[in-house]
Amino acid sequence: MRRIIITIIILAFAFMLNAQIIHHGFVRTYLGSLTDRDGEYSVMQNTFDWRLDYGKGDVALYVNPVFDYNALNKNLDISLRQAYMDIYFDNFDLRIGKQQIIWGKADGVFITDIISPRDLSEFILPDFEEIRIGTNAVKFDYYLGNSTLEAVWIPTFQPTITPDENSIWAPKMPDFPMPVNYDYSNAEVENKLSESEIALKYSYLGSAIDFELMTAYMWDDNPAMRIYLQPDTLLIKPEYHRLPLVGASFSKAVGGAVVRGEGAYYFEKRFAVENLSVNGVKEKDYVHYLVGYDHNWFGMNVSFQFIQEYIINYEDDIRNDEFSNTITFLITEDFLRETLRLEFFTYYGINNEDALLRPKIAYDLADGFEVQLGANIFVGDEGNFGQYDENDMLYLKVRYDF
Amino acid sequence: MKKFTIILMAAIIMTATLSAQEITGLKIIENVYDRPTGQDQEGDLTMSLINSRGDERVREIKQYLKDFGDMEKKIMFFVSPADVRNTSFMSWSYDEAGKDDDQWIYLPALKKVKRISSDSKSDYFMGSDFTYDDLGDRHPSSDTHKLLREEEIDGENCYVVESIPKEEEYMYSKTITWIVKDKWIGKKKEFYDEDDDLLKTLTLKKSEKIKDYIVITISEMHNVQKDHTTKMELANVKVDTGISDNKFTERMMKRGM
Repeated sequence: MRRIIITIIILAFAFMLNAQIIHHGFVRTYLGSLTDRDGEYSVMQNTFDWRLDYGKGDVALYVNPVFDYNALNKNLDISLRQAYMDIYFDNFDLRIGKQQIIWGKADGVFITDIISPRDLSEFILPDFEEIRIGTNAVKFDYYLGNSTLEAVWIPTFQPTITPDENSIWAPKMPDFPMPVNYDYSNAEVENKLSESEIALKYSYLGSAIDFELMTAYMWDDNPAMRIYLQPDTLLIKPEYHRLPLVGASFSKAVGGAVVRGEGAYYFEKRFAVENLSVNGVKEKDYVHYLVGYDHNWFGMNVSFQFIQEYIINYEDDIRNDEFSNTITFLITEDFLRETLRLEFFTYYGINNEDALLRPKIAYDLADGFEVQLGANIFVGDEGNFGQYDENDMLYLKVRYDF
Repeated sequence: MKKFTIILMAAIIMTATLSAQEITGLKIIENVYDRPTGQDQEGDLTMSLINSRGDERVREIKQYLKDFGDMEKKIMFFVSPADVRNTSFMSWSYDEAGKDDDQWIYLPALKKVKRISSDSKSDYFMGSDFTYDDLGDRHPSSDTHKLLREEEIDGENCYVVESIPKEEEYMYSKTITWIVKDKWIGKKKEFYDEDDDLLKTLTLKKSEKIKDYIVITISEMHNVQKDHTTKMELANVKVDTGISDNKFTERMMKRGM
């Protein structure tokens, strides 16, 4: 009933403003089949992604309701990916409402791009636009020539959505010596002013270089799993912690190619340890950075990134490695006057020798009408990607943009 | 008095003959490059892609450009088809010979402005018959120019100039351009591939005088090898309206038109 009311409100809103409103969006059918599980369907989804733009003078609004029908469990999910107002002034803009805020120069890796939380209920397989959750925020941008100063205030913490524990995308838990119980009583951040998140960014775009400098006082999206020894069990109490960070990124043209870099220093991030005397958690400063290279090579766009995560003052009982190294590689080429696109994207985890390979072929049957056939192939036994070795998937997407 | 008139006429004829003799391929191309086009310009660009069967696909773009003295800035907002709507592209090109353009693209799905490689100059723009380089102003010093002959097209006297790129790996082995005398505007241009075979022909279909400037409003690029044509139409052209410098920024790429 609630969903029907929301739909009616959205429709009423759209029709009221119909004279000036601009409608666009897409309709998509998405079917995914798990090849290692006898072709079992993991996704059978129909989506209506509706974008409504309205502007008058120096005020504009944007609403993006999304209707997802899951044909496997017959569930219709209605959500607002974004819904915000823009107010434009001569030298500054304000954006108020639920919005996706994207920072940094990395592709497919989240280093300084930590403002919008993520929906990882299907790991990192959906399009990035769909992984990012709109966050309720006030964003202020001040412009001076080619420079921008951006300040973001997020009044309430919204954590990243993790996969359900019964999902095929639930991450592998460490092996515990005793049965485990969970207590979620500390897994909430109160909705009050003092628990807000704030972030600040200076960016410059110019002939010589583009760069960003940022700092933020956030909550860590991943809760610390504090472990308490009980008579016959282990009690795990997830708890969110503050995560202050500073970071920077740049991109620069070098001889026809583009070189990119991005890095962040996180203060007192909580890491899981085997040592129960500290309740399974230790605080360590942590560095996450990447270097990237984009080049047009015989008509193909080639992009390469090396990513490193480093835990400072490492101790041996920390479950993560001191250094975690990952490589990404992307190659795309268009054919038939940009109606046929071949793409191959891969993540390769050096520590665990695991990988995610994502070949894709997309063909435009007509303008805005695309058929996409692709695969997600997981390689390895452990690590970020290897843990999903049983989840290799073939998929088909048919999408019409209007 | 009669003597003076004869001397004056002789001087005029000599000057005219001298200047006609002096004009070189390079000078003609420089005159085209330097032809005044105004401080700024905006317009609605429609590209119609027509294949050999006559099927047509249409791309619509709103574009703004402005001369900043030693560089030209251009910003394009993609209007249609629907799947590229709200994408924007910005380029800054420099008068300095050999200096690469700076280019950025804003993809609404990624929500960020991304610097892109300027090595894609030989790529075709949005599936059309124009490469990125065909759409820009190629610097005269990039080619060696030779005046081949003078010829009349559609009742207009033209210089015919052959231009051979200095860069060995360039996508064309040569181009031949028909330039209308005194107007310094290209009437027709032929592009030859690496085997020296004719690849494409660009034809000026319509030009308009807007304020004091000649603006090409309709042109057509025909790929003779693939029998594919792109018709480029520029409508609602406004020149010298004083477009703000702030139009050519990251802010506007994200905000859109």
